[in-house]
Amino acid sequence: MPNQLGSIVSKFPYIMFGGKGGLGKTTFSAATAYWLAEQGKKVLVFSVDPQASLSDIFQQDIFGKGPVKIKDNLFAQEIDADTHIKAYQGEIRRKILDMYGFDEVPDEIEQYIQAASAEPAMEESAIFDAVVDIVVAGSYDYYIYDLVPLGHALYYLSMAKVYDEWINRITKLREEMREYEEMVSRLRSEKTTEEDAILTELSYIKGRINQSSRILTDKEKTAFFFVVVPEEMIILDTQKAAKLFAAFDVPIAGYVVNRVVPRELLAQDIPAYLRNRIEMQDRYLAQIKSNLGAQVQAYVPELERDVTGLPMIEKLARIMYADGQ
Amino acid sequence: MPDQPQPQKKGFLQNVKEVLYGMGRHDMTRYAIRTRASMEHLFILITMGDLLGIPILPPYYSLRLLPYVVPQIATWKRRMLREKDVSDAMF
Repeated sequence: MPNQLGSIVSKFPYIMFGGKGGLGKTTFSAATAYWLAEQGKKVLVFSVDPQASLSDIFQQDIFGKGPVKIKDNLFAQEIDADTHIKAYQGEIRRKILDMYGFDEVPDEIEQYIQAASAEPAMEESAIFDAVVDIVVAGSYDYYIYDLVPLGHALYYLSMAKVYDEWINRITKLREEMREYEEMVSRLRSEKTTEEDAILTELSYIKGRINQSSRILTDKEKTAFFFVVVPEEMIILDTQKAAKLFAAFDVPIAGYVVNRVVPRELLAQDIPAYLRNRIEMQDRYLAQIKSNLGAQVQAYVPELERDVTGLPMIEKLARIMYADGQ
Repeated sequence: MPDQPQPQKKGFLQNVKEVLYGMGRHDMTRYAIRTRASMEHLFILITMGDLLGIPILPPYYSLRLLPYVVPQIATWKRRMLREKDVSDAMF
């Protein structure tokens, strides 16, 4: 029987661990993927972080290699945004050349292509677009989304909301333009003009942006967990972030507390340094309990070493999901 | 090349039609085309704003629209960057 965390996790095909950097998002993603794969589910754990750490945790270079099989049912993927953007730029250039029969892309246009790709938002929008492809393909039972730190995710969610509105307006303008076009055709007694390719593109873009924000906000399919550790600043920041996420309709499935120093140590002869840390954690654990209470889905102990490589991931998965095998 | 209208013999009716068009509808057509052109420029501004340094759409998606506006970019930039005076208000 799965424990509390396990029974929540198995209900949602899109699972995300979010939180400040370095608290164990990737570690939990890997352990959860491992556990689900052990349950016989086909799982993809993927990262959209340009400084992704899935390669490090699985001790295998998977960057930009598509989904790489780690073990039975378990696949990992790190999206290489740069290559993705370059290929995409190439497509745009080819399209321009084809459409107008140019030999080369005009200078001004080329400059624009370069400039657009240098913008920081380019990488993010390219990555989120790639995510849509991965998730829509639907070849896995579970998708575990190793999220970029909170700020980026929020930024994208807020963009998605604004863009939706924005594209609606652009589409409306485009439709009005079309009316004028038709009016001219009528006045000149010509037959109606051909379909507006831009309108088609706009509705495609709208669909993509909607899909990518839906992946983050679908109440039926998405479970978003915050990773916290028992430290004051992290608790405060995470609570702030949780409010923002809730405002953007991200379904928050709960919190997982990481790096809890085992209390059993207190019974042993341990240095004052460690004793102090345990006492400090006790204070913050009490605070977490009173603030988050029932929303805490699991407490995960600080392990004796960092989690890298399959045996450690397996060990953590057993602790997190208390399989008791 | 898009299909050019083939020159053909015009009948009397056709001539009448064209005269009437010139008298009544030509102005309206011109106005409609003009409005359509300003809208086109507005459209490019709100999608390709980055060309003037105004980022608006996510760049990944604005690139998708770029191929369609290539022919208009030069006139659009000229229009956006030229100095304005009162006469602009009257076109």
